[in-house]
Amino acid sequence: MENLLSNASPHSETLIEERGKRIKIAAEVGLARSSGGRLWARALRRRLHRQRKLPQQACIVKNSTPPLMKEVPLVADVAEEKDEVEDRVRALQRLVPGGEEMEVERLFEETADYIEALREQVGVMRALACLLDGIESTDGDKL
Amino acid sequence: MERDLFSQMDTDLNSISYLSLNYDHQPVLDHFDSAISSMVSSPSTAPPPPGHTNSLVIRELIGRLGTICNNNNNNKSLAAGGDHSTNTSCYSTPLSSPPKSSLHSLPSMNPNSMPFPPDQGFTERAARMSCFGSGPHMAVSGQLSRVSSSQSLMDAGMTGGAQLEGELTMQESGGGANNGRKRKAGVKGKGKEASLASSGTANSKMSEEDPSAKRCKPDCKLGGKKGGVEENNSNSSENNNDDRENKNENDSNNTDSKPAEPLKDYIHVRARRGQATDSHSLAERVTGKAVMLDEIINYVQSLQRQVEFLSMKLATVDAPEDCNMDNLLRKDMHQACDRSMQQEVYPSAFPYPNQPQAGPLNSLLTANSISNIGMQPASNLPFDGFGNTSAQIGGFWEDDLQSVVQMGFVQNQEGALSSQSFQGSGPSSSDMKIEL
Repeated sequence: MENLLSNASPHSETLIEERGKRIKIAAEVGLARSSGGRLWARALRRRLHRQRKLPQQACIVKNSTPPLMKEVPLVADVAEEKDEVEDRVRALQRLVPGGEEMEVERLFEETADYIEALREQVGVMRALACLLDGIESTDGDKL
Repeated sequence: MERDLFSQMDTDLNSISYLSLNYDHQPVLDHFDSAISSMVSSPSTAPPPPGHTNSLVIRELIGRLGTICNNNNNNKSLAAGGDHSTNTSCYSTPLSSPPKSSLHSLPSMNPNSMPFPPDQGFTERAARMSCFGSGPHMAVSGQLSRVSSSQSLMDAGMTGGAQLEGELTMQESGGGANNGRKRKAGVKGKGKEASLASSGTANSKMSEEDPSAKRCKPDCKLGGKKGGVEENNSNSSENNNDDRENKNENDSNNTDSKPAEPLKDYIHVRARRGQATDSHSLAERVTGKAVMLDEIINYVQSLQRQVEFLSMKLATVDAPEDCNMDNLLRKDMHQACDRSMQQEVYPSAFPYPNQPQAGPLNSLLTANSISNIGMQPASNLPFDGFGNTSAQIGGFWEDDLQSVVQMGFVQNQEGALSSQSFQGSGPSSSDMKIEL
Protein backbone atom coordinates (compact mmCIF):
# COMPACT_ATOMS: atom_id res chain seq x y z
CA MET A 1 0.00 0.00 0.00
CA GLU A 2 2.83 2.35 0.66
CA ASN A 3 3.89 2.03 -2.89
CA LEU A 4 0.61 3.24 -4.11
CA LEU A 5 0.56 6.10 -1.72
CA SER A 6 4.03 7.11 -2.59
CA ASN A 7 3.06 7.36 -6.19
CA ALA A 8 0.22 9.70 -5.49
CA SER A 9 0.15 12.34 -8.13
CA PRO A 10 -1.21 15.80 -8.03
CA HIS A 11 -3.59 15.01 -10.85
CA SER A 12 -7.24 15.37 -10.25
CA GLU A 13 -7.72 11.74 -11.03
CA THR A 14 -7.10 9.22 -8.42
CA LEU A 15 -4.01 7.19 -8.54
CA ILE A 16 -5.89 4.10 -9.43
CA GLU A 17 -7.57 5.75 -12.32
CA GLU A 18 -4.28 6.92 -13.61
CA ARG A 19 -2.83 3.50 -13.27
CA GLY A 20 -5.83 2.11 -15.01
CA LYS A 21 -5.32 4.44 -17.89
CA ARG A 22 -1.69 3.56 -18.13
CA ILE A 23 -2.58 -0.06 -18.12
CA LYS A 24 -5.13 0.49 -20.76
CA ILE A 25 -2.60 2.29 -22.87
CA ALA A 26 -0.27 -0.63 -22.42
CA ALA A 27 -3.01 -2.95 -23.47
CA GLU A 28 -3.61 -0.88 -26.53
CA VAL A 29 0.04 -0.93 -27.35
CA GLY A 30 0.01 -4.66 -27.06
CA LEU A 31 -3.07 -4.77 -29.17
CA ALA A 32 -1.56 -2.58 -31.81
CA ARG A 33 1.59 -4.60 -31.94
CA SER A 34 -0.17 -7.88 -32.16
CA SER A 35 -1.71 -7.21 -35.51
CA GLY A 36 0.86 -5.21 -37.32
CA GLY A 37 -0.50 -5.81 -40.73
CA ARG A 38 -3.90 -4.38 -40.09
CA LEU A 39 -5.07 -0.92 -40.84
CA TRP A 40 -6.71 -0.49 -37.51
CA ALA A 41 -3.52 -1.48 -35.75
CA ARG A 42 -1.55 1.09 -37.65
CA ALA A 43 -4.11 3.75 -36.91
CA LEU A 44 -4.03 2.77 -33.28
CA ARG A 45 -0.28 3.04 -33.20
CA ARG A 46 -0.42 6.45 -34.82
CA ARG A 47 -2.86 7.59 -32.22
CA LEU A 48 -0.75 6.23 -29.41
CA HIS A 49 2.29 7.97 -30.78
CA ARG A 50 0.38 11.17 -30.90
CA GLN A 51 -0.79 10.74 -27.37
CA ARG A 52 2.55 10.00 -25.86
CA LYS A 53 3.09 13.65 -25.26
CA LEU A 54 -0.44 14.25 -24.17
CA PRO A 55 -2.17 13.39 -20.95
CA GLN A 56 -3.14 9.81 -20.88
CA GLN A 57 -6.65 9.97 -22.11
CA ALA A 58 -6.98 7.02 -24.35
CA CYS A 59 -10.46 7.04 -25.61
CA ILE A 60 -11.27 4.93 -28.55
CA VAL A 61 -14.75 6.10 -29.19
CA LYS A 62 -14.15 9.77 -28.97
CA ASN A 63 -13.59 11.12 -32.39
CA SER A 64 -15.02 14.29 -33.67
CA THR A 65 -13.66 14.15 -37.17
CA PRO A 66 -16.37 13.56 -39.69
CA PRO A 67 -16.27 10.24 -41.39
CA LEU A 68 -14.41 10.25 -44.64
CA MET A 69 -15.93 7.14 -45.97
CA LYS A 70 -17.05 7.31 -49.48
CA GLU A 71 -20.71 7.57 -50.03
CA VAL A 72 -22.08 4.15 -50.29
CA PRO A 73 -24.40 3.94 -53.22
CA LEU A 74 -27.56 2.44 -51.93
CA VAL A 75 -30.75 1.66 -53.60
CA ALA A 76 -32.28 5.01 -54.23
CA ASP A 77 -35.55 4.29 -52.62
CA VAL A 78 -36.18 4.94 -49.03
CA ALA A 79 -33.85 7.48 -47.60
CA GLU A 80 -34.55 6.90 -43.97
CA GLU A 81 -33.67 3.27 -44.08
CA LYS A 82 -30.52 3.94 -45.98
CA ASP A 83 -29.62 6.43 -43.36
CA GLU A 84 -30.03 3.82 -40.71
CA VAL A 85 -27.44 1.66 -42.30
CA GLU A 86 -25.15 4.55 -43.01
CA ASP A 87 -25.41 5.82 -39.49
CA ARG A 88 -24.38 2.51 -38.15
CA VAL A 89 -21.54 2.21 -40.56
CA ARG A 90 -20.29 5.57 -39.42
CA ALA A 91 -20.61 4.54 -35.82
CA LEU A 92 -18.56 1.50 -36.58
CA GLN A 93 -16.00 3.66 -38.25
CA ARG A 94 -15.68 5.65 -35.12
CA LEU A 95 -15.26 2.56 -33.03
CA VAL A 96 -12.60 0.90 -35.05
CA PRO A 97 -9.36 2.82 -34.96
CA GLY A 98 -8.61 4.28 -38.31
CA GLY A 99 -12.02 3.45 -39.57
CA GLU A 100 -12.68 6.80 -41.02
CA GLU A 101 -10.10 6.41 -43.66
CA MET A 102 -11.37 3.10 -44.82
CA GLU A 103 -13.93 2.32 -47.35
CA VAL A 104 -16.81 0.25 -46.22
CA GLU A 105 -15.63 -3.10 -47.37
CA ARG A 106 -12.27 -2.65 -45.82
CA LEU A 107 -13.93 -1.40 -42.70
CA PHE A 108 -15.71 -4.67 -42.21
CA GLU A 109 -12.58 -6.68 -42.66
CA GLU A 110 -10.79 -4.52 -40.18
CA THR A 111 -13.68 -4.77 -37.78
CA ALA A 112 -13.51 -8.52 -37.82
CA ASP A 113 -9.83 -8.50 -37.12
CA TYR A 114 -10.21 -5.85 -34.50
CA ILE A 115 -12.86 -7.87 -32.75
CA GLU A 116 -10.59 -10.85 -32.65
CA ALA A 117 -7.75 -8.83 -31.27
CA LEU A 118 -9.99 -7.29 -28.64
CA ARG A 119 -11.11 -10.70 -27.55
CA GLU A 120 -7.54 -11.78 -27.18
CA GLN A 121 -6.74 -8.72 -25.20
CA VAL A 122 -9.66 -9.26 -22.89
CA GLY A 123 -8.55 -12.81 -22.36
CA VAL A 124 -5.04 -11.79 -21.55
CA MET A 125 -6.16 -9.14 -19.14
CA ARG A 126 -8.60 -11.47 -17.47
CA ALA A 127 -5.95 -14.07 -17.04
CA LEU A 128 -3.58 -11.50 -15.70
CA ALA A 129 -6.18 -10.28 -13.27
CA CYS A 130 -6.83 -13.80 -12.11
CA LEU A 131 -3.17 -14.40 -11.70
CA LEU A 132 -2.60 -11.27 -9.76
CA ASP A 133 -5.61 -11.97 -7.65
CA GLY A 134 -4.05 -15.24 -6.77
CA ILE A 135 -0.81 -13.59 -5.91
CA GLU A 136 -2.59 -11.04 -3.85
CA SER A 137 -4.53 -13.52 -1.87
CA THR A 138 -1.57 -15.71 -1.16
CA ASP A 139 0.56 -12.78 -0.23
CA GLY A 140 -2.14 -11.55 2.01
CA ASP A 141 -2.22 -14.86 3.73
CA LYS A 142 1.44 -14.86 4.34
CA LEU A 143 1.47 -11.32 5.52
CA MET B 1 -48.23 -9.75 -56.54
CA GLU B 2 -44.98 -10.19 -54.84
CA ARG B 3 -46.61 -12.26 -52.23
CA ASP B 4 -47.85 -14.59 -54.87
CA LEU B 5 -44.43 -14.88 -56.30
CA PHE B 6 -43.18 -15.54 -52.86
CA SER B 7 -45.58 -18.33 -52.32
CA GLN B 8 -44.64 -19.77 -55.63
CA MET B 9 -41.06 -19.63 -54.62
CA ASP B 10 -41.93 -21.31 -51.43
CA THR B 11 -43.58 -24.15 -53.17
CA ASP B 12 -40.68 -24.47 -55.49
CA LEU B 13 -38.36 -24.55 -52.60
CA ASN B 14 -40.47 -27.17 -51.00
CA SER B 15 -40.27 -29.27 -54.06
CA ILE B 16 -36.58 -28.77 -54.25
CA SER B 17 -36.04 -29.78 -50.72
CA TYR B 18 -38.12 -32.83 -51.08
CA LEU B 19 -36.44 -33.72 -54.24
CA SER B 20 -33.08 -33.51 -52.75
CA LEU B 21 -33.98 -35.54 -49.78
CA ASN B 22 -35.80 -38.50 -50.92
CA TYR B 23 -33.55 -41.26 -51.91
CA ASP B 24 -36.12 -43.93 -51.69
CA HIS B 25 -37.86 -43.51 -54.94
CA GLN B 26 -35.00 -44.43 -57.09
CA PRO B 27 -36.75 -46.47 -59.68
CA VAL B 28 -38.81 -43.57 -60.78
CA LEU B 29 -35.86 -41.74 -62.01
CA ASP B 30 -34.13 -44.45 -63.86
CA HIS B 31 -35.06 -43.05 -67.15
CA PHE B 32 -33.99 -39.69 -65.99
CA ASP B 33 -30.77 -41.17 -64.94
CA SER B 34 -30.11 -42.33 -68.40
CA ALA B 35 -30.99 -38.99 -69.80
CA ILE B 36 -28.75 -37.24 -67.41
CA SER B 37 -25.91 -39.61 -67.86
CA SER B 38 -26.11 -39.21 -71.57
CA MET B 39 -26.09 -35.55 -71.11
CA VAL B 40 -23.29 -35.67 -68.70
CA SER B 41 -21.19 -37.95 -70.73
CA SER B 42 -21.36 -35.84 -73.77
CA PRO B 43 -20.36 -32.44 -72.68
CA SER B 44 -18.09 -30.65 -74.97
CA THR B 45 -15.68 -29.97 -72.22
CA ALA B 46 -14.15 -32.71 -70.26
CA PRO B 47 -15.25 -32.97 -66.70
CA PRO B 48 -12.99 -30.53 -65.10
CA PRO B 49 -11.44 -30.69 -61.74
CA PRO B 50 -12.90 -28.41 -59.21
CA GLY B 51 -12.17 -25.05 -60.55
CA HIS B 52 -13.43 -22.35 -62.70
CA THR B 53 -14.10 -24.58 -65.62
CA ASN B 54 -16.75 -26.24 -63.61
CA SER B 55 -18.96 -23.33 -64.16
CA LEU B 56 -18.64 -23.63 -67.88
CA VAL B 57 -19.43 -27.28 -67.79
CA ILE B 58 -22.28 -26.66 -65.51
CA ARG B 59 -23.66 -24.07 -67.81
CA GLU B 60 -23.67 -26.46 -70.65
CA LEU B 61 -25.15 -29.16 -68.61
CA ILE B 62 -27.84 -26.95 -67.35
CA GLY B 63 -28.62 -25.88 -70.81
CA ARG B 64 -28.98 -29.44 -71.81
CA LEU B 65 -30.96 -30.13 -68.74
CA GLY B 66 -33.34 -27.53 -69.79
CA THR B 67 -33.96 -29.26 -73.02
CA ILE B 68 -34.25 -32.56 -71.29
CA CYS B 69 -36.59 -31.09 -68.81
CA ASN B 70 -38.78 -29.77 -71.48
CA ASN B 71 -38.78 -33.06 -73.22
CA ASN B 72 -39.43 -35.06 -70.17
CA ASN B 73 -41.87 -32.79 -68.65
CA ASN B 74 -43.77 -35.15 -66.51
CA ASN B 75 -44.06 -32.84 -63.68
CA LYS B 76 -46.43 -30.30 -64.86
CA SER B 77 -48.39 -30.86 -61.76
CA LEU B 78 -45.52 -29.54 -59.84
CA ALA B 79 -45.49 -26.29 -61.57
CA ALA B 80 -47.52 -23.77 -59.81
CA GLY B 81 -47.36 -21.70 -62.88
CA GLY B 82 -46.63 -22.24 -66.45
CA ASP B 83 -43.20 -20.88 -66.16
CA HIS B 84 -42.37 -23.34 -63.51
CA SER B 85 -42.84 -26.39 -65.57
CA THR B 86 -39.38 -26.48 -66.90
CA ASN B 87 -38.04 -25.93 -63.53
CA THR B 88 -39.88 -28.65 -61.86
CA SER B 89 -39.08 -31.11 -64.51
CA CYS B 90 -35.51 -30.14 -64.20
CA TYR B 91 -35.75 -30.98 -60.60
CA SER B 92 -36.67 -34.41 -61.50
CA THR B 93 -33.87 -34.95 -63.91
CA PRO B 94 -31.73 -37.32 -62.10
CA LEU B 95 -28.12 -37.02 -61.50
CA SER B 96 -26.06 -39.78 -62.72
CA SER B 97 -24.64 -40.38 -59.33
CA PRO B 98 -26.80 -43.26 -58.42
CA PRO B 99 -26.85 -43.18 -54.71
CA LYS B 100 -27.17 -39.54 -54.63
CA SER B 101 -29.96 -39.02 -57.01
CA SER B 102 -31.89 -36.47 -55.26
CA LEU B 103 -34.84 -35.83 -57.38
CA HIS B 104 -36.58 -39.06 -57.01
CA SER B 105 -39.93 -38.42 -55.73
CA LEU B 106 -40.60 -35.40 -57.75
CA PRO B 107 -42.91 -36.78 -60.34
CA SER B 108 -45.32 -38.05 -57.85
CA MET B 109 -45.21 -35.15 -55.56
CA ASN B 110 -47.31 -32.16 -55.57
CA PRO B 111 -45.27 -29.26 -54.40
CA ASN B 112 -48.23 -27.44 -53.15
CA SER B 113 -48.87 -30.08 -50.64
CA MET B 114 -45.37 -30.17 -49.33
CA PRO B 115 -44.71 -28.47 -46.14
CA PHE B 116 -42.01 -25.98 -46.14
CA PRO B 117 -38.93 -27.35 -44.51
CA PRO B 118 -36.62 -25.10 -42.71
CA ASP B 119 -33.75 -23.77 -44.63
CA GLN B 120 -31.25 -25.36 -42.43
CA GLY B 121 -32.77 -28.75 -42.86
CA PHE B 122 -32.90 -28.29 -46.54
CA THR B 123 -29.36 -27.22 -46.57
CA GLU B 124 -28.04 -30.15 -44.72
CA ARG B 125 -30.12 -32.57 -46.67
CA ALA B 126 -29.04 -31.09 -49.90
CA ALA B 127 -25.51 -31.25 -48.69
CA ARG B 128 -26.01 -34.86 -47.94
CA MET B 129 -26.44 -35.36 -51.59
CA SER B 130 -22.73 -34.88 -51.64
CA CYS B 131 -23.05 -32.92 -54.72
CA PHE B 132 -19.50 -32.63 -55.72
CA GLY B 133 -17.91 -35.90 -55.31
CA SER B 134 -14.88 -36.87 -57.16
CA GLY B 135 -16.72 -37.63 -60.31
CA PRO B 136 -17.94 -35.10 -62.72
CA HIS B 137 -21.39 -36.45 -62.62
CA MET B 138 -21.44 -35.86 -58.96
CA ALA B 139 -20.56 -32.29 -59.51
CA VAL B 140 -23.18 -32.07 -62.10
CA SER B 141 -25.74 -33.55 -59.84
CA GLY B 142 -24.91 -31.16 -57.14
CA GLN B 143 -25.01 -28.32 -59.48
CA LEU B 144 -28.15 -29.48 -61.06
CA SER B 145 -30.01 -29.66 -57.87
CA ARG B 146 -29.02 -26.21 -57.04
CA VAL B 147 -29.45 -24.96 -60.46
CA SER B 148 -32.88 -26.34 -60.71
CA SER B 149 -33.87 -24.46 -57.67
CA SER B 150 -32.27 -21.39 -59.01
CA GLN B 151 -33.87 -22.00 -62.31
CA SER B 152 -37.22 -22.09 -60.75
CA LEU B 153 -36.39 -18.92 -59.03
CA MET B 154 -35.30 -17.26 -62.13
CA ASP B 155 -38.11 -18.48 -64.23
CA ALA B 156 -40.59 -17.41 -61.71
CA GLY B 157 -39.24 -14.00 -62.15
CA MET B 158 -36.56 -11.95 -60.71
CA THR B 159 -38.57 -10.49 -57.97
CA GLY B 160 -39.80 -13.81 -56.83
CA GLY B 161 -36.37 -15.25 -56.98
CA ALA B 162 -35.00 -12.39 -55.09
CA GLN B 163 -37.65 -12.86 -52.52
CA LEU B 164 -36.74 -16.42 -52.10
CA GLU B 165 -33.18 -15.44 -51.91
CA GLY B 166 -33.97 -13.16 -49.14
CA GLU B 167 -36.03 -15.81 -47.56
CA LEU B 168 -32.98 -17.87 -46.90
CA THR B 169 -31.36 -17.06 -43.71
CA MET B 170 -27.91 -15.79 -43.53
CA GLN B 171 -26.08 -18.59 -41.99
CA GLU B 172 -22.56 -18.76 -40.94
CA SER B 173 -20.43 -21.20 -42.66
CA GLY B 174 -16.95 -21.77 -43.80
CA GLY B 175 -17.99 -20.59 -47.17
CA GLY B 176 -19.71 -17.65 -45.74
CA ALA B 177 -17.97 -15.22 -47.95
CA ASN B 178 -19.17 -16.87 -51.05
CA ASN B 179 -22.56 -17.39 -49.65
CA GLY B 180 -22.94 -13.82 -48.78
CA ARG B 181 -21.87 -12.61 -52.11
CA LYS B 182 -24.07 -14.96 -53.92
CA ARG B 183 -26.97 -14.42 -51.73
CA LYS B 184 -27.40 -10.82 -52.27
CA ALA B 185 -26.39 -10.78 -55.85
CA GLY B 186 -29.88 -11.73 -56.55
CA VAL B 187 -31.48 -13.30 -59.47
CA LYS B 188 -31.31 -10.81 -62.15
CA GLY B 189 -32.81 -13.08 -64.64
CA LYS B 190 -29.46 -13.96 -65.92
CA GLY B 191 -30.50 -17.44 -66.56
CA LYS B 192 -29.06 -20.70 -65.79
CA GLU B 193 -25.58 -19.87 -66.82
CA ALA B 194 -25.36 -17.11 -64.33
CA SER B 195 -26.43 -19.22 -61.50
CA LEU B 196 -24.18 -21.97 -62.61
CA ALA B 197 -21.31 -19.60 -62.93
CA SER B 198 -21.90 -18.22 -59.54
CA SER B 199 -22.26 -21.55 -57.95
CA GLY B 200 -19.29 -22.79 -59.87
CA THR B 201 -17.18 -19.93 -58.74
CA ALA B 202 -18.50 -20.27 -55.28
CA ASN B 203 -17.48 -23.84 -55.33
CA SER B 204 -14.15 -23.12 -56.78
CA LYS B 205 -13.55 -20.57 -54.15
CA MET B 206 -14.37 -22.96 -51.46
CA SER B 207 -11.60 -25.32 -52.07
CA GLU B 208 -11.88 -27.11 -48.83
CA GLU B 209 -11.04 -30.63 -48.10
CA ASP B 210 -14.57 -31.66 -48.73
CA PRO B 211 -15.46 -29.79 -51.82
CA SER B 212 -18.64 -31.71 -52.32
CA ALA B 213 -20.13 -30.84 -49.03
CA LYS B 214 -18.90 -27.37 -49.24
CA ARG B 215 -20.26 -26.83 -52.64
CA CYS B 216 -23.58 -28.15 -51.81
CA LYS B 217 -24.02 -26.40 -48.61
CA PRO B 218 -23.59 -22.85 -49.58
CA ASP B 219 -25.43 -23.26 -52.77
CA CYS B 220 -28.23 -25.13 -51.27
CA LYS B 221 -28.32 -22.81 -48.43
CA LEU B 222 -28.87 -19.99 -50.72
CA GLY B 223 -31.51 -21.89 -52.47
CA GLY B 224 -29.41 -21.71 -55.51
CA LYS B 225 -30.20 -18.17 -55.99
CA LYS B 226 -26.87 -17.25 -56.90
CA GLY B 227 -28.00 -15.86 -60.10
CA GLY B 228 -25.27 -14.06 -61.89
CA VAL B 229 -23.48 -13.19 -58.77
CA GLU B 230 -20.34 -11.98 -60.24
CA GLU B 231 -21.81 -10.09 -63.04
CA ASN B 232 -24.25 -8.54 -60.72
CA ASN B 233 -21.62 -7.67 -58.25
CA SER B 234 -19.59 -5.88 -60.75
CA ASN B 235 -22.45 -4.24 -62.42
CA SER B 236 -24.79 -2.97 -59.86
CA SER B 237 -24.07 -0.50 -57.23
CA GLU B 238 -26.49 -2.30 -55.07
CA ASN B 239 -23.87 -4.89 -54.75
CA ASN B 240 -21.99 -2.57 -52.56
CA ASN B 241 -24.71 -2.74 -50.05
CA ASP B 242 -25.02 -6.41 -50.31
CA ASP B 243 -21.35 -6.92 -50.38
CA ARG B 244 -21.04 -4.81 -47.36
CA GLU B 245 -23.54 -6.80 -45.53
CA ASN B 246 -22.09 -9.97 -46.82
CA LYS B 247 -18.71 -8.88 -45.73
CA ASN B 248 -20.14 -8.06 -42.41
CA GLU B 249 -21.53 -11.47 -42.17
CA ASN B 250 -18.49 -13.04 -43.61
CA ASP B 251 -16.21 -11.21 -41.36
CA SER B 252 -18.32 -12.10 -38.45
CA ASN B 253 -18.56 -15.60 -39.58
CA ASN B 254 -14.96 -15.96 -40.30
CA THR B 255 -13.76 -14.72 -37.03
CA ASP B 256 -12.54 -17.54 -35.06
CA SER B 257 -15.08 -18.62 -32.51
CA LYS B 258 -17.75 -16.25 -33.44
CA PRO B 259 -18.54 -13.55 -31.03
CA ALA B 260 -21.16 -14.74 -28.69
CA GLU B 261 -24.72 -13.74 -29.01
CA PRO B 262 -24.67 -10.75 -31.24
CA LEU B 263 -23.45 -12.46 -34.36
CA LYS B 264 -24.80 -15.88 -33.73
CA ASP B 265 -28.28 -14.90 -34.62
CA TYR B 266 -29.52 -15.75 -38.00
CA ILE B 267 -31.00 -12.73 -39.48
CA HIS B 268 -33.74 -13.31 -41.88
CA VAL B 269 -33.14 -10.80 -44.51
CA ARG B 270 -35.63 -10.26 -47.21
CA ALA B 271 -33.20 -9.35 -49.87
CA ARG B 272 -34.58 -7.91 -52.98
CA ARG B 273 -31.87 -7.10 -55.36
CA GLY B 274 -32.63 -4.06 -57.34
CA GLN B 275 -36.28 -4.74 -57.75
CA ALA B 276 -37.56 -3.51 -54.49
CA THR B 277 -40.69 -1.85 -55.47
CA ASP B 278 -42.35 -2.82 -52.27
CA SER B 279 -41.31 -0.51 -49.54
CA HIS B 280 -42.10 -3.12 -46.98
CA SER B 281 -39.65 -5.64 -48.25
CA LEU B 282 -37.03 -3.03 -48.80
CA ALA B 283 -37.50 -1.86 -45.29
CA GLU B 284 -37.02 -5.37 -44.07
CA ARG B 285 -33.83 -5.73 -45.98
CA VAL B 286 -32.39 -2.49 -44.81
CA THR B 287 -33.50 -3.09 -41.29
CA GLY B 288 -31.77 -6.42 -41.30
CA LYS B 289 -28.52 -4.79 -42.22
CA ALA B 290 -28.97 -2.09 -39.67
CA VAL B 291 -29.74 -4.62 -37.00
CA MET B 292 -26.68 -6.57 -37.80
CA LEU B 293 -24.51 -3.51 -37.83
CA ASP B 294 -26.00 -2.61 -34.50
CA GLU B 295 -24.98 -5.93 -33.12
CA ILE B 296 -21.48 -5.51 -34.37
CA ILE B 297 -21.21 -2.07 -32.93
CA ASN B 298 -22.53 -3.22 -29.60
CA TYR B 299 -20.10 -6.06 -29.53
CA VAL B 300 -17.13 -3.89 -30.29
CA GLN B 301 -18.24 -1.42 -27.68
CA SER B 302 -18.70 -4.12 -25.10
CA LEU B 303 -15.25 -5.47 -25.80
CA GLN B 304 -13.74 -2.05 -25.45
CA ARG B 305 -15.61 -1.54 -22.21
CA GLN B 306 -14.31 -4.82 -20.96
CA VAL B 307 -10.80 -3.75 -21.73
CA GLU B 308 -11.36 -0.56 -19.81
CA PHE B 309 -12.89 -2.35 -16.90
CA LEU B 310 -10.12 -4.89 -16.78
CA SER B 311 -7.49 -2.23 -16.97
CA MET B 312 -9.06 -0.49 -14.03
CA LYS B 313 -9.24 -3.75 -12.20
CA LEU B 314 -5.63 -4.45 -12.88
CA ALA B 315 -4.84 -1.03 -11.60
CA THR B 316 -6.49 -1.84 -8.32
CA VAL B 317 -4.61 -5.03 -7.87
CA ASP B 318 -2.12 -4.53 -5.17
CA ALA B 319 0.72 -6.17 -6.93
CA PRO B 320 4.31 -5.92 -5.86
CA GLU B 321 6.14 -2.91 -7.05
CA ASP B 322 8.39 -4.68 -9.43
CA CYS B 323 5.46 -6.00 -11.35
CA ASN B 324 5.71 -4.17 -14.59
CA MET B 325 2.26 -4.65 -15.82
CA ASP B 326 2.69 -2.49 -18.86
CA ASN B 327 5.34 -4.73 -20.21
CA LEU B 328 3.32 -7.71 -19.26
CA LEU B 329 0.42 -6.59 -21.30
CA ARG B 330 2.46 -5.56 -24.24
CA LYS B 331 4.41 -8.73 -24.38
CA ASP B 332 1.53 -10.98 -23.63
CA MET B 333 -0.72 -9.42 -26.14
CA HIS B 334 1.89 -9.80 -28.77
CA GLN B 335 2.49 -13.34 -27.73
CA ALA B 336 -1.11 -14.21 -27.45
CA CYS B 337 -2.09 -12.91 -30.78
CA ASP B 338 0.85 -14.40 -32.53
CA ARG B 339 0.33 -17.70 -30.98
CA SER B 340 -3.36 -17.72 -31.42
CA MET B 341 -2.92 -16.92 -35.01
CA GLN B 342 -0.39 -19.60 -35.53
CA GLN B 343 -1.62 -22.46 -33.54
CA GLU B 344 -5.20 -22.50 -32.72
CA VAL B 345 -4.89 -25.90 -31.29
CA TYR B 346 -3.13 -24.62 -28.30
CA PRO B 347 -6.07 -23.82 -26.13
CA SER B 348 -7.29 -27.32 -26.30
CA ALA B 349 -3.87 -28.74 -25.72
CA PHE B 350 -3.59 -27.34 -22.27
CA PRO B 351 -5.83 -28.56 -19.56
CA TYR B 352 -6.01 -25.31 -17.81
CA PRO B 353 -8.96 -24.62 -15.66
CA ASN B 354 -9.46 -21.26 -17.21
CA GLN B 355 -11.24 -20.63 -20.38
CA PRO B 356 -9.48 -22.25 -23.29
CA GLN B 357 -8.72 -18.96 -24.79
CA ALA B 358 -6.72 -17.95 -21.81
CA GLY B 359 -5.02 -21.27 -21.41
CA PRO B 360 -1.85 -20.63 -23.30
CA LEU B 361 -2.01 -17.06 -22.24
CA ASN B 362 -2.04 -18.19 -18.70
CA SER B 363 1.10 -20.15 -19.19
CA LEU B 364 2.75 -17.19 -20.73
CA LEU B 365 1.50 -14.94 -18.04
CA THR B 366 2.60 -17.28 -15.38
CA ALA B 367 6.06 -17.44 -16.75
CA ASN B 368 6.22 -13.73 -17.19
CA SER B 369 4.73 -12.86 -13.90
CA ILE B 370 6.84 -15.26 -12.00
CA SER B 371 9.95 -13.68 -13.23
CA ASN B 372 8.70 -10.21 -12.96
CA ILE B 373 7.34 -10.58 -9.56
CA GLY B 374 10.46 -12.26 -8.42
CA MET B 375 8.80 -15.15 -6.76
CA GLN B 376 10.54 -18.24 -5.69
CA PRO B 377 8.35 -20.88 -7.08
CA ALA B 378 10.34 -23.77 -5.82
CA SER B 379 10.04 -22.95 -2.19
CA ASN B 380 6.71 -21.35 -1.86
CA LEU B 381 4.85 -21.45 -5.04
CA PRO B 382 2.27 -18.77 -4.56
CA PHE B 383 0.26 -19.89 -7.48
CA ASP B 384 -1.19 -22.94 -6.00
CA GLY B 385 -3.73 -22.95 -8.66
CA PHE B 386 -1.00 -22.89 -11.22
CA GLY B 387 1.34 -25.24 -9.54
CA ASN B 388 0.36 -28.04 -11.76
CA THR B 389 1.05 -25.89 -14.71
CA SER B 390 4.66 -25.29 -13.92
CA ALA B 391 5.62 -28.73 -15.07
CA GLN B 392 3.66 -28.18 -18.18
CA ILE B 393 5.25 -24.87 -18.60
CA GLY B 394 8.65 -26.46 -18.52
CA GLY B 395 7.69 -28.81 -21.26
CA PHE B 396 5.84 -26.04 -22.92
CA TRP B 397 8.87 -23.91 -23.09
CA GLU B 398 11.07 -26.66 -24.27
CA ASP B 399 9.09 -28.10 -26.99
CA ASP B 400 6.90 -25.61 -28.62
CA LEU B 401 7.78 -22.28 -27.37
CA GLN B 402 11.17 -21.87 -28.88
CA SER B 403 9.80 -20.19 -31.91
CA VAL B 404 7.52 -18.06 -29.85
CA VAL B 405 10.33 -17.25 -27.57
CA GLN B 406 12.37 -16.02 -30.39
CA MET B 407 9.49 -14.03 -31.63
CA GLY B 408 8.20 -12.45 -28.53
CA PHE B 409 10.55 -12.68 -25.67
CA VAL B 410 13.76 -12.34 -27.50
CA GLN B 411 12.74 -9.07 -28.90
CA ASN B 412 12.08 -7.82 -25.47
CA GLN B 413 14.75 -5.34 -24.72
CA GLU B 414 15.15 -6.45 -21.17
CA GLY B 415 16.55 -9.78 -22.05
CA ALA B 416 16.11 -12.82 -24.05
CA LEU B 417 14.45 -15.84 -22.74
CA SER B 418 17.02 -18.52 -22.75
CA SER B 419 15.32 -21.66 -23.66
CA GLN B 420 18.31 -23.60 -22.62
CA SER B 421 17.43 -22.92 -19.07
CA PHE B 422 14.46 -25.20 -19.45
CA GLN B 423 16.27 -28.12 -20.80
CA GLY B 424 16.46 -29.48 -17.38
CA SER B 425 12.77 -30.13 -17.60
CA GLY B 426 10.69 -30.06 -14.55
CA PRO B 427 10.09 -26.98 -12.61
CA SER B 428 13.01 -25.73 -10.77
CA SER B 429 13.50 -22.32 -9.40
CA SER B 430 16.23 -21.53 -11.82
CA ASP B 431 14.11 -22.63 -14.69
CA MET B 432 11.18 -20.63 -13.65
CA LYS B 433 13.18 -17.52 -13.38
CA ILE B 434 12.91 -16.06 -16.76
CA GLU B 435 15.10 -13.16 -17.43
CA LEU B 436 13.00 -10.80 -19.28
